[in-house]
Amino acid sequence: MLQEIYSETLPNGIRLNFIPAAKFKTISLGLFLHQELRADLAAATALLPAVLERGSRRYPDNLTLRRELERLYGAELSTDIHKKGERHLVSCSMEMVHGKYVGENDGLLRKGMAILAGVVGDPLVENGGFKKDYVAQEKDQLGKEIRSLINDKALYALEQCVAAMCAGERYGVFKLGRIEDLERIDPVSLWGYYRELIAAGPMDLYVVGELERGQVLEAAREAFAFDRRPRPDGIPETVVYHDVTEVKMREEKMPVGQAKLALGYRTNIAYRDPLSPALLVYNGVLGAFAHSKLFLNVREKAGLAYYIYSRLERHKGLMLVAAGIEGGNYRKTLAIIEKQVEAMAKGEISDLEMENTRRTLVNHLRTLEDNPYQMINFHLDGAIGGKSYTTGEIIRGIENVGLEEIRAVAGRIALDTVYLLQGEGPAEEGGAAAS
Amino acid sequence: MTMTLNDWTVTEIEVLQEKLYRRSVAPGMDIYVLPKAGYQKKYAAFSTRFGSIDNKFQLDGSDETIAVPEGMAHFLEHKLFEDERGNVSDRFAALGASSNAFTTFTHTTYLFSTTANFDESLALLLDFVQEPYFTAETVSKEQGIIGQEIRMYDDHPQWRVFFNLLEALYHAHPVRCDIAGTVESIARITPELLYRCYHKFYHPSNMALFVVGDLAPDRVGRQVEENLGRRNYRPLGRIKRLSPPEPETVARRRITQELVVSEPIFNLGFKDPAVINLDGDGLLRREIAMELLLEIVFGNSEPLFNDLYRDGLIDDHFDAGYTAEKSYGYTLIGGETRDPEQLYKRVMAGIAKVKKEGFTTEQFERHRRNQLGGYMRRFNSLEFIANNFLSYLFRDTELFRYPAILQRIGKEEVAALLDENLSPERHAVSIILPKK
Repeated sequence: MLQEIYSETLPNGIRLNFIPAAKFKTISLGLFLHQELRADLAAATALLPAVLERGSRRYPDNLTLRRELERLYGAELSTDIHKKGERHLVSCSMEMVHGKYVGENDGLLRKGMAILAGVVGDPLVENGGFKKDYVAQEKDQLGKEIRSLINDKALYALEQCVAAMCAGERYGVFKLGRIEDLERIDPVSLWGYYRELIAAGPMDLYVVGELERGQVLEAAREAFAFDRRPRPDGIPETVVYHDVTEVKMREEKMPVGQAKLALGYRTNIAYRDPLSPALLVYNGVLGAFAHSKLFLNVREKAGLAYYIYSRLERHKGLMLVAAGIEGGNYRKTLAIIEKQVEAMAKGEISDLEMENTRRTLVNHLRTLEDNPYQMINFHLDGAIGGKSYTTGEIIRGIENVGLEEIRAVAGRIALDTVYLLQGEGPAEEGGAAAS
Repeated sequence: MTMTLNDWTVTEIEVLQEKLYRRSVAPGMDIYVLPKAGYQKKYAAFSTRFGSIDNKFQLDGSDETIAVPEGMAHFLEHKLFEDERGNVSDRFAALGASSNAFTTFTHTTYLFSTTANFDESLALLLDFVQEPYFTAETVSKEQGIIGQEIRMYDDHPQWRVFFNLLEALYHAHPVRCDIAGTVESIARITPELLYRCYHKFYHPSNMALFVVGDLAPDRVGRQVEENLGRRNYRPLGRIKRLSPPEPETVARRRITQELVVSEPIFNLGFKDPAVINLDGDGLLRREIAMELLLEIVFGNSEPLFNDLYRDGLIDDHFDAGYTAEKSYGYTLIGGETRDPEQLYKRVMAGIAKVKKEGFTTEQFERHRRNQLGGYMRRFNSLEFIANNFLSYLFRDTELFRYPAILQRIGKEEVAALLDENLSPERHAVSIILPKK
């Protein structure tokens, strides 16, 4: 990247990454715990951040914790759950206004870090487990969240497509887990699971803001001092390569007005593959932008969709194409999409399409460092993907991509799954299963 | 502190350690530049005071009333992106810039961000917004695309619950209509109507430009002046927006709709008729005071939120917010819930409890501090700064007055809003129920 990043390992094995950035009004902290993405563990892993955020030993309930954050000029504590390839990550983040804007010195950094460290490293434990009420309530909330996927039909369609495509693979596991697994989780078993994870699992701490390296290191050492017995990262590598023997077709019906089409492709290109920059360009020419083939042909020329795009999951090497369409236009839309993918393979790409895509990608990469979370995410992707590109390296890579490399990418890409969420309206021209 | 420098008025925003440059360019458009050292990105937003609620208007010196179909401003936004050479976003891409646009109730904004070729990108933004090209063919194709956009929103439960609430709160004000209009209303849009609206609302004196990034104000100023100068604009009379009379009461107490959702969605709204009597700073002050009040009553650091959460009636997306515009205002409270009736009762009882018991100075000061920090944190984002600056500007106030007004607001002022602005007579409820 990124002009400067300082990485060091704390005595207990937490990897500290500090990115100095004077331009931000904030100090951003991000802590990431890594776990294997596995069907039987996913619900428990997804439950953890929610339970942790309810209270720590020092701030044992939400009222106490939130009020303390408000006193720190509205520091924002948030937790999340991510899926990067076949790796499951729990994150716990804090964003604070920088002390210099509110007449405080580095007191805010220390206080904020202490709260974050307490939430992650010193949770509220009673009777050998997490607090019973919190676990029960958060199980209920997580169950609701899992079920609420259906509320966002576009996201639902994408998740269903991925689940069908990667059934039997670890990547097919939904990042929030399965409802039926929640029943088995109790406060003691969850605490036992977490204790092992926090003691031995890989853990990254990111700090971004206008700070000195020494000051950050000292504050992190002081706050994140809990005992750990870190093991080497034993999380199995994401399986990327996959031969497609037959395209899977899935169709679902629901009383909705707009049909959602989702196509899953295997790119067979891993994050650290030398073809990685070419894959970015491929995806850009095909469907990532408003100048891409999909947008131009499906939306602007045929007027079939309001949204149509392709996007990558780079750790698993997937490309997903999504569109919201009139159910009756399903075949027409699919034909246009497939025609664009064929055009990519034949190298029917103008110099202008290539150049517009290269420039747009370069612009996106250069702006990463204007956002603390994008910087963190970029670095984390490199660490997980097994190749820490600098933005400069990727930019040079992108600038060197020609039709030859695009053809090489096209040679590896294969359509795996077609998913259609269809309305229950009058008879359509035939569903996905029939084509 | 404010001073003048060449053609610019320069305001120092001490609390944020930023400087804002403002100047006027003939024929009467204000431009703003906020230099941001160290940022790679440069962001420009070119905005017109033309939103979905501007669907009936007159011009000074003319008795002719122009009424346009719902969804006009949004349709125009889509169509401006296309000219005889095709889609404008291709030309931004060729410069390495990303472009976009959005339409709200009150304005339309065209924007780009870029790390290279800023001058060329700004020229393109100014040019394409000032050079309309509408044909029967492109209008007809767009009706299909926007038709799909409308269909997408029709299936979107959060969007539906919100617009159903506005429909319940308002009898006649156009804020009760979807920004994109309906499939039927946009079918009535023609190139002629687009041109008529365009020539009124896209006159520079009805527009503003905000640019932010590592930039020199003078260069931007000269470029804009030259670009507008060569177009020979004639002065535009004042646009008179005609709103149908809107009673203070709500139109309906409750609207319920069934959709494919996992559990019900509940929105409670309180109509605020007082906004029409306020000037710009008055609106901002009311907005800040209401934000404080809603945090004190519904914030996640307060008992009501935590009780509702513990009882499984809300999740952590439960939210309360307030909107104040010149011609309409409302409070909106809600989220997903297993039991909307129970949540409704508990929320109303929670408001009544704070009305009766009041709140402490500690609560008030804590939330004030929270709001200040929250405001400042958002100044990392160039998009936030530009978009919000323009949105406040069009309400005749300024984003940067927020901290000073926040400091001036007193506890009693906030407490008075409980009775005045969360009055049970002016509430309405919107519920989405799972489709059986």
